[in-house]
Amino acid sequence: MENAIIGNMIDLCAVMMLLTTVLAVAMTHMKPLIRLFSAQSLFLAVLALIVAYSSGTSHIYIMCGLTLVLKVFVMPRMLWYIMDRINVGREVGLSLGIPGTLLASGLMMVLSYYITEPLLATMHTVERNCLALSVSILLIGLLMMCTRKNAITETIGLLMMENGLFLGAVALSHGMPLIVEIAAFFDVMVAVIIIGIFAHRINRSFNSVDTSFLRRLRE
Amino acid sequence: MIPTVIGILQAVALVLVAPLVSGIVSKTKARMQGRGGASVLQPYRDIRKLLGKDSTVSGSTSWLFRAVPFVCMGSMIVLAMMTPFIYTGTLAPFGDLVAVVYLFTLYRFSMVLGGLEGGSAFGGMGSSREMMMSVLIEPALLLAISTLAILSGAGTDMGDISESLSGMGLLAVGPALILAGASFTITLLAENARIPFDNPSTHLELTMVHEAMLLEYSGRGLAMMELSSMVRLTVFMAMLGSMFFPWGVATTAEPVDILVSVAVTSAKMLLMTVTLAAVESVLCKTRLFKTPNLLTASFMLSLMAMMSLYIL
Repeated sequence: MENAIIGNMIDLCAVMMLLTTVLAVAMTHMKPLIRLFSAQSLFLAVLALIVAYSSGTSHIYIMCGLTLVLKVFVMPRMLWYIMDRINVGREVGLSLGIPGTLLASGLMMVLSYYITEPLLATMHTVERNCLALSVSILLIGLLMMCTRKNAITETIGLLMMENGLFLGAVALSHGMPLIVEIAAFFDVMVAVIIIGIFAHRINRSFNSVDTSFLRRLRE
Repeated sequence: MIPTVIGILQAVALVLVAPLVSGIVSKTKARMQGRGGASVLQPYRDIRKLLGKDSTVSGSTSWLFRAVPFVCMGSMIVLAMMTPFIYTGTLAPFGDLVAVVYLFTLYRFSMVLGGLEGGSAFGGMGSSREMMMSVLIEPALLLAISTLAILSGAGTDMGDISESLSGMGLLAVGPALILAGASFTITLLAENARIPFDNPSTHLELTMVHEAMLLEYSGRGLAMMELSSMVRLTVFMAMLGSMFFPWGVATTAEPVDILVSVAVTSAKMLLMTVTLAAVESVLCKTRLFKTPNLLTASFMLSLMAMMSLYIL
């Protein structure tokens, strides 16, 4: 009974992460998008807390704390800061319309359930569900990176993909080894910083953070 | 015998409480904007005043124009009988969910006809916008409610679904329920002409959707149209409260259960009303051509809810 309820709560957090991802695809403005990313990270932290409590694995607590500090507070602040610094517009810059992207992300969800089904036929329901959700968040994040033109929106797509990955790692195998997790966190931190500098440079060269300018050859 | 009486009472209560719900929404919104706002009982007074007035009908309209308010009010009263509000044994044993969705559609369709009948440009404009949105609302609504029917495994009657889900306790809280609930909430806002989709308190010609269709109505007809749209909001809230989060709803006709349920249901309704007012205060109305974005998201969520049931 208790196991079933804990399983349900894990499912719930995973689904809330998917929900925030789908809503993020539907957003046309930057600020709600950043808030949704921090909400998604918050659900990841709660999920990690539940897994840590139920499995008794102590290093997941550390991962939970890191997620809470870095992804819920620090990275959104950094993105705000970058946005303020380079005066980027509030629009996210679409190259495919929102209904189209949403329908495509629906296809991604179907696809991820379809491909994970034979893989884990013997697994527990909760784990199977989390794997499918993790793959769909990954694919939707990738889709977001492909269909947006704004450098900062693309960064958020990357961060959301990363959250999906952690969801899979925590729910399925009770986390990666601590050193790998910390390395992954710092990777992402560094990625955000580099992308920030990069966005700054794109902005200076083209007066916009629209990455489609990068395709042009300049003499 | 007693269950039938309670069934009648809850349908009557649902209709009577509807203006109060609207009143609380406007009062809360006014407070959030720093105004005093009208009393929460103002909608009752408005309806009483309108009922006492003569109706002016344009000479170019046919009987259809006069029939529309009765069709709207009638479909909402039937819906009030089907909805489990306090007690899951509803009055109408035919509370099938397909009937529910199409009663909402009947309401909308007749309102659109009423808007067109007046022959004014605004009515036609409002009607065409309403139809555009309804194309996107209907599949999401149908999918969200069907998901619940499958989840509960209790057939397609709303009362049975509510009873079975409240029996499942916390085990019912899963991906399907949450996704379907989120989709239903977006549908609630769209269907009831609430803020990201339409502004219920505006009469600005270029943006109104719902109000544009009511422009030609006056007196008794207007009173019925207003009341039926308030009942529609309350029915939606009752469905959200007693089917998506059904804990506390009475499943038996025991007096204690009913009393507990009355208390819990009032608390839930109050919470939803205040949340609705808060949502309306912090969001702004989006352009008409941006509404498909959110509606497609709602459709995707309900599709996902349905899918997660079949695959797991």
